Amino acid sequence: MENNAPIFQRPSRWKISGLFILIALACLPFADLTINTFDPMAELDRLFSGLLSPSLYPIESPIDALLQTVAFAILGVSSGSVIGFSLAQIFHFRLVRTICALIRAVHELFWALIFLQIFGLHPLTGLLAIGLPYTATFAKVYAEILEEGDRRAFDTIRHSSSFTSAFFYARLPDLWQHFIAYTSYRLECGLRSSTILGFIGLPTLGYYLSSAFLEGQYSEVWALLILFYLLIASIKYWVRPKLLPVYLLISPFIIANDSHISFDNVHRFFTQDIIPLPIRNGQGISELWLWFYNLFINEALPGIVNSLVLTQLALILTGFITLVWFPLISKLFFARFARSIGHFFLVVMRSTPEYILAFILLTLWGPSMLPAIIALALHNGAIIAHLMGHYSDALPLRLDATKGLNRYAYEVVPRIYGQFMAFLFYRWEIILRESAILGILGITTLGFYIDSAIQDIRLDRAMVLIIITALLNVCIDTISRHIRSRLRLSMGPEIISK
Amino acid sequence: MTAFESIVRNPLNRLMFLSTPITFIIYQLQLIKNGSNRMQSKLRRFIQSSFLALLVTSFSSTVLSAPKTLMFSAIPDQDQTQLIKRFAIVADYLSTKLGIPVKYIPVKSYSAAITAFRNNQIQLAWFGGLSGVRARLLVPGSEAIAQGLEDTEFRSYFIAHHSTGLQASKDFPKNISDKTFTFGSKGSTSGRLMPEFFIRENLQKPPNDVFKRVGFSGNHSRTIALVQTGAYQVGATNYKVWEKEMKAGKIDSSKVSVIWKTPAYPDYQWTIRGDVDQFWGEGFKTRVQQALLEIKDPALLKSFPRSGFIKASNNDYQPILETARKIGLID
Amino acid sequence: MFHLQSANASYNNKDVLVDITLQIPAGQKLALIGHSGSGKSTLLKLLYQQRPQDISLVPQDYGLVSSLSVFHNVYMGQLAYQPLWYNLVNLIKPLKKPLQDVEQILDNIKLSDKLLEPVAQLSGGQQQRTAVARAMMQGSDILLADEPVSSLDEHQSKLVMSLLCNDFDTVVLAMHDIDLALTYCDRIIGLDHGRITIDAPTTSLNRNDLLDIYGE
Repeated sequence: MENNAPIFQRPSRWKISGLFILIALACLPFADLTINTFDPMAELDRLFSGLLSPSLYPIESPIDALLQTVAFAILGVSSGSVIGFSLAQIFHFRLVRTICALIRAVHELFWALIFLQIFGLHPLTGLLAIGLPYTATFAKVYAEILEEGDRRAFDTIRHSSSFTSAFFYARLPDLWQHFIAYTSYRLECGLRSSTILGFIGLPTLGYYLSSAFLEGQYSEVWALLILFYLLIASIKYWVRPKLLPVYLLISPFIIANDSHISFDNVHRFFTQDIIPLPIRNGQGISELWLWFYNLFINEALPGIVNSLVLTQLALILTGFITLVWFPLISKLFFARFARSIGHFFLVVMRSTPEYILAFILLTLWGPSMLPAIIALALHNGAIIAHLMGHYSDALPLRLDATKGLNRYAYEVVPRIYGQFMAFLFYRWEIILRESAILGILGITTLGFYIDSAIQDIRLDRAMVLIIITALLNVCIDTISRHIRSRLRLSMGPEIISK
Repeated sequence: MTAFESIVRNPLNRLMFLSTPITFIIYQLQLIKNGSNRMQSKLRRFIQSSFLALLVTSFSSTVLSAPKTLMFSAIPDQDQTQLIKRFAIVADYLSTKLGIPVKYIPVKSYSAAITAFRNNQIQLAWFGGLSGVRARLLVPGSEAIAQGLEDTEFRSYFIAHHSTGLQASKDFPKNISDKTFTFGSKGSTSGRLMPEFFIRENLQKPPNDVFKRVGFSGNHSRTIALVQTGAYQVGATNYKVWEKEMKAGKIDSSKVSVIWKTPAYPDYQWTIRGDVDQFWGEGFKTRVQQALLEIKDPALLKSFPRSGFIKASNNDYQPILETARKIGLID
Repeated sequence: MFHLQSANASYNNKDVLVDITLQIPAGQKLALIGHSGSGKSTLLKLLYQQRPQDISLVPQDYGLVSSLSVFHNVYMGQLAYQPLWYNLVNLIKPLKKPLQDVEQILDNIKLSDKLLEPVAQLSGGQQQRTAVARAMMQGSDILLADEPVSSLDEHQSKLVMSLLCNDFDTVVLAMHDIDLALTYCDRIIGLDHGRITIDAPTTSLNRNDLLDIYGE
């Protein structure tokens, strides 16, 4: 009895959690966590006094920006879902899976930067930037939903009828709700994406938001943010199946502008712009290797290290924030009124794209990893806390279970910990993808070097760096999947479709 | 230009054009369903006629503008919220002078301006020194046709927060090393290229090795704002933007001041694509150049801000190209 | 101790309990018997709501946290009596004093070899005994237990029943096993379709009569 420590078996979930906390601690010395603004409180004060006097007046065409935001989202997401649905049917081919994984691994902002080079200001840039990565995600998730669904009815009638009609009768009806739920969730994501694409030049809300931020016009910032929140919060009122065809019909007219696509450009992009310089100059393999080596050592490597450091720290902070926040909306801890405040808070936090959060915090605190880590953790923490809160509501607690923190520590957290880790590892790769794009804001992750290469119109370098980013993402995704299956953490279609 | 194209062009037209018939039909259906008394039919006639009027205006405004539109843009080097306001008046001026529709296309970054120029989505652009050189390398045949009076002798200012204790000096301030430093946009001449050039020349090291931290603020006004708040201790900015903001009272000289002025170099210029004569007829390029040189209205000049425009040629920017090559910003 | 007067309960518009009038004095050992669905669990719930502070409860589904160890699950009976910081420390690093207390209780029900194993790895019977141990750890005067021995073999059932009846002053058990009820309890209440059909001291009841009406 004296020495019981050795026989106390910590579950492997604990060990993995501990390992990741240790990794994060090991990352700390490499992270730049300083606040650089001279007087961050004064800036914060200015930010919040802007909230008291929101004003759309100085913005040149807010309504058009709003329409553009919606139109790009609707067209991008719906084309993504249609193509993604067809791809889901052939998702068992390794080639399809790999290509989708690679496309998904590149954030829509990077896609936009690429397409901006090919199509310039043509609306196709925004459409593809949303549509392409969304297609790949839809293909994967739809395929997962199909896989998790019950196949028995389908297998029974499949030989007596055509594949298609068997599919429509025996599979689709059961899974329809999941498809709809996931697709409408992605539409919300699409609105966020199309907003932040404004930061690099699409005429959406983000276009004005970034300008207003840069100029410190906080009254306009708040007006635009409120407009954005209203747009997200009112989704269920204006996204109706019956109205969708109308939207689809009108949207092309809204996003259309008078730029045109030059096929010479498209051709030139693929045959010259992205061909590494030494090849274009007709130099040999050794020159090419030197070119690549320099690029890798001077840009890719520091970018990878910083992206990973940022990701690991943000991941741990996300987990921590989740565990603190989920009780806010859980029936097990708070009464109705307190929960509704919690809900409001979490909705605001998770609707705000991390890119915008990071942008705000960077403005306030100056450039370091700190604002990026906090932005990623706040956004992702709110998302997982929302899911965990709902999950905890369904827990069967015994009648005489304790209350308050005892209940939290003994009854609830141990029960939800597995699910919590499943969500967290699911977001891991997403956090990495996001930490890469935060580089565009000036934090030296991979995105910083990609953006620099594009600003220098060195698309060959940008392309190599983007491919490296994609591969890094695929690696993390694989590790995450491996851990999830080792710990037997599964999500199930209801969860996936959230 | 077809009527259809024009509808597509103007967002307000688009909305009006689309919503008019739809609302009209809905309204008609509503009336049929509800039946109508005399009051309603009067109202109906009124609404019908206003709809028709709207439809006609939105259509006719589109048919009237027939010739191909000249598109131009400018690098977003300062005050981005006011870009459209600033350049819409320039577009109006050019349109009157040239007798064709001229439209300003806002862009978010220097590289987007270059790409749009390369892709023939804009034919005319107000570039900085470096972005102009890059654009002309990418679009053979394009030409620098005009520059600001000040652009032959452009300068960057190094500015510092007062807490650093740095004082204005004639010589390069070597004691800026180990401070935090911000450039403007990554692709800027006065905010990046030339400051970096002078830093390398005087300290024999790339900026990353000189400073504790190097950032890119995005544009010149932001550089000033960031140094003023102390987010960065030192920064390099465009001298015209500094003077303009100083005049507008946006700079708190108890917090930030100029510590060094760079030697002069050529900077901003108007660049036009080589193939414009094919579209708008022989001599078009010269007419555009003439129109630019004739800008005398202070309200227009304030947009840039310049005191006037003079002729320019590609050769004027050879030094910029060489500097960019030396630093490794152009392969 | 407990008092119900014409109590009713319904669930989804179906009456589960009808017109229950009942007095339970302190010190009584009472068995509720009846087919599943006869309203035993609901009656236990009504009784629990009368004085939740003084009751140790063994729910039908045990109410265990399967990812925690047996030790932690049993210790949960004590949560209300210890300061919060003490509970939280003990969650991360089991403390000596509670370890000894819990082990003692587990010794009694022959489960001490599983002290630090996660509940998820236990058999049904072991889990049931863990739930019983938690109730004993709580140590209130009154025990309400819903089928506390349903997954145990005869030998273990007897052990647990005698422990429970010794440990707690007042005991109310929902049971299937008529023999155990007759052996360990001093009063039996029979329920059928939500009504009390039998309410008598054990001594006045005959095994075969009960078996006819309520036996499996």
